[in-house]
Amino acid sequence: MSTRPLVAAALAAFALAAGAQEQFPSRAITMVVAFPPGGVADTTARPTAAAMEKVLGQPVTITNRPGAGGAVGNAVTANAKPDGYTILMALSSISVIPAADELFHRKPAYALDQFVPIALVSADPTILVVHPSLPVKSLKELVALARAKPGELSFSSSGLYGALHMPMEMFLYASKVKMRHLPTTGGGPALTAVLGGHVELTAGGPAAISGHVKSGKVRPIVSWGAERHPSYPEIPTFRELGYKDVEYYIWAGLVGPRGIPDAALTVLRGAVRKAVEDPVFKKTMASVGSLVQYKDAPEFGKYWEADAKRLARLVKIVGKVEAKK
Amino acid sequence: MGETLDGLLLGFSVALTPSILVYAFVGCLIGTLVGMMPGLGPLAGISLLLPATFGLNPIIAIVLLAGVYYGAMYGGSTTSILMRIPGEAASVMTCVDGYAMTLNGRAGPALAIAAIGSFVAGTVGVVGLMLLAPTLAQWALRFGPPEYTALLLLGLFVLAYMSGGSTLKTLAMAAAGLMLGMIGIDVMSGYTRFNFDLVELSDGVGIVPVAVGLFGISEILLSAGAEAMPSVQRPQLRDLIPSREEFRRSVGPVCRGSVLGFLIGIIPGSAHIIASFVSYGIERRVSKTPERFGKGAIEGVAGPESANNGAASGAFVPMLALGIPTSPITAVMLAAIMVHGVLPGPLLIQQQPELFWGFVASMYVGNVVLLVLNLPLVGVFVNLLRIPYGYLYPCILCFCILGTYSVNNSVTDVWILLVMGVIGYVLRKFGYDLAPVALGLVLAPMLELSLRQSLSMSGGDYAIFVERPIATTMLVLGLVIFLLAVKPLILKGRKDWRAVMGLDKEIT
Repeated sequence: MSTRPLVAAALAAFALAAGAQEQFPSRAITMVVAFPPGGVADTTARPTAAAMEKVLGQPVTITNRPGAGGAVGNAVTANAKPDGYTILMALSSISVIPAADELFHRKPAYALDQFVPIALVSADPTILVVHPSLPVKSLKELVALARAKPGELSFSSSGLYGALHMPMEMFLYASKVKMRHLPTTGGGPALTAVLGGHVELTAGGPAAISGHVKSGKVRPIVSWGAERHPSYPEIPTFRELGYKDVEYYIWAGLVGPRGIPDAALTVLRGAVRKAVEDPVFKKTMASVGSLVQYKDAPEFGKYWEADAKRLARLVKIVGKVEAKK
Repeated sequence: MGETLDGLLLGFSVALTPSILVYAFVGCLIGTLVGMMPGLGPLAGISLLLPATFGLNPIIAIVLLAGVYYGAMYGGSTTSILMRIPGEAASVMTCVDGYAMTLNGRAGPALAIAAIGSFVAGTVGVVGLMLLAPTLAQWALRFGPPEYTALLLLGLFVLAYMSGGSTLKTLAMAAAGLMLGMIGIDVMSGYTRFNFDLVELSDGVGIVPVAVGLFGISEILLSAGAEAMPSVQRPQLRDLIPSREEFRRSVGPVCRGSVLGFLIGIIPGSAHIIASFVSYGIERRVSKTPERFGKGAIEGVAGPESANNGAASGAFVPMLALGIPTSPITAVMLAAIMVHGVLPGPLLIQQQPELFWGFVASMYVGNVVLLVLNLPLVGVFVNLLRIPYGYLYPCILCFCILGTYSVNNSVTDVWILLVMGVIGYVLRKFGYDLAPVALGLVLAPMLELSLRQSLSMSGGDYAIFVERPIATTMLVLGLVIFLLAVKPLILKGRKDWRAVMGLDKEIT
């Protein structure tokens, strides 16, 4: 008679007890938002957190850690204890920052492999809008005009390598057109520059531009989506028009620091899956004009990887600004 | 006009419903308290409160947030006046004469005038918003990067011309501020400058930790080193009410400050702090007795305080008439109504008349609430001075650190605050004026951005500044003022206005 099975049983019981004690989540979860309140990350995070609370039975609190175009909040999450209690509502720019750091030989704020995907929540394609005085109604006319006047048209963006700069560079690279770039400090100022006629075009989020499109202050030309945007059914996509590689979304997805225990990760994934079906969540997302594009961890991981590769390549192509001059 | 009246009637029918009134009151109260907290300004206040409004209807949300916004703009003056600690960045100018008035035992009148000035400016702003919003908004849109560059240069020239004290010391401090403003990512090339590998510094040094550190922490350090503690004041009731003379002196500054603040507030991207600085400069220049400034001139409180509240109202013009956020604060407010499915844009006034007019009317109501709330509280606030400094200052230090931390949840900001406190202490020991540091820090990134944006628009051609009428006009005006400012340096023997007033001596 050996004592080994007994020990094993005791150990197993202990492990079970420990497991039961560690029933995830046993306390409040912190959802980091790397941008100030009111931005896309924040308006996606809040309804998601509210819906997840109902599923998890624990509070999910939002912490805004803005700074350096999201690098501060992303780095905070990357270096947080991977216990599942700190998660991040990441935006697509999470993939651009390390690439830009590399380009400038900066100490990287974080690396992408420090994260593990949980679920994609929303994805909005950007839409190219022009000032109404610009005599173009289609992408073809725009490209023709830009080719006729190389380096004379200018576009505004949310900032260098920012969420509204990358899609424009993608388009310029694919169409081999040269334009002037006016970086600003955010999506609002970028749109204002077009409204005031200081630049001819910009890329805009579907919700941000909608009021101005309806009143005719800007003219939408083409969308970066894979499919046409439901709110702009008459606006074609770059892909339709033969630009196969020009596809860009500002997406928001939940990620956590790598090393979250599988059990906790499963709970979190399950919570998001149920959260996106929540009627209040759906209603809120519809009213801020964001498209819910739920993808569970495996598909989200693949999607993110492809997106990150595309963006990193693009950052290299764009290169350092003064190097081009 | 009839349309406006109909609209306003509709607005008041919305704004005077009990629930909206309650929220306007709560907003003003929270705003005043938030504004009083050193470091916590209007942006932090409405950001913290934003999530709470997601469950309310859009009109209530915007009324509540607007109340917080102008409440905070006003509340910032309280600690500036009583303790020389700016409650928020735009109150830096109020510190100078407001605190001097407190030392003269006139804290009550300073607070009262700040409240009345804010009320007048708020009301002027609402009237302007109501009557002129669409016209002014179109004008504001014409301000692109070149116009903005010209405006900032004009502002710098005006301030250089009007600043008192030793020109050399003022310029040195402004230069220090401008250099501080160079820290952080270069927006046009993507390189980070002077950030010592700290991610937090790549956005630059924030105005909040610098202003609170330079003014607030240094004040606490100075009083700790003072040989005799300032005596605890016991204000009497009659000391709370401004005298007839003080009222008379305040009328001009309040009116000028209101209009100036409103106009500056409309321009996309401009900061309230500029409105209060320029107002202070103008008041000192037009005053018959500029030597009183810095020693407790009520004009130095009335002007800047009206200007910053005027700017707060002005910022709503492009937000409501065009649906574009022109500052971080209006961006958060737009987000608050977007969450409810109200899409901002030029059609907002037509499509959401109840929202627009309800908001306008609630601003009238809110301004009255602010006045009614704050005038009686002047007595309470002034009595804070009765608390012995040994208890008061540690508490204030705590609030400074908490407030600064909570803006970005950043410990780096707290370190900046503490370092700035020590630097401010040393500089004040040597008799330097610290306000230009704050101004330089605010202006440097804006000036650099707009200048380089302009050149980016023109492909590097400086002619862009003389091809655009608004920009050219402002530059020529700035040049004239600049020449006036350097005239005494070139034509020696001629006396400058400063020398005539005996102002070329140092002020502290």
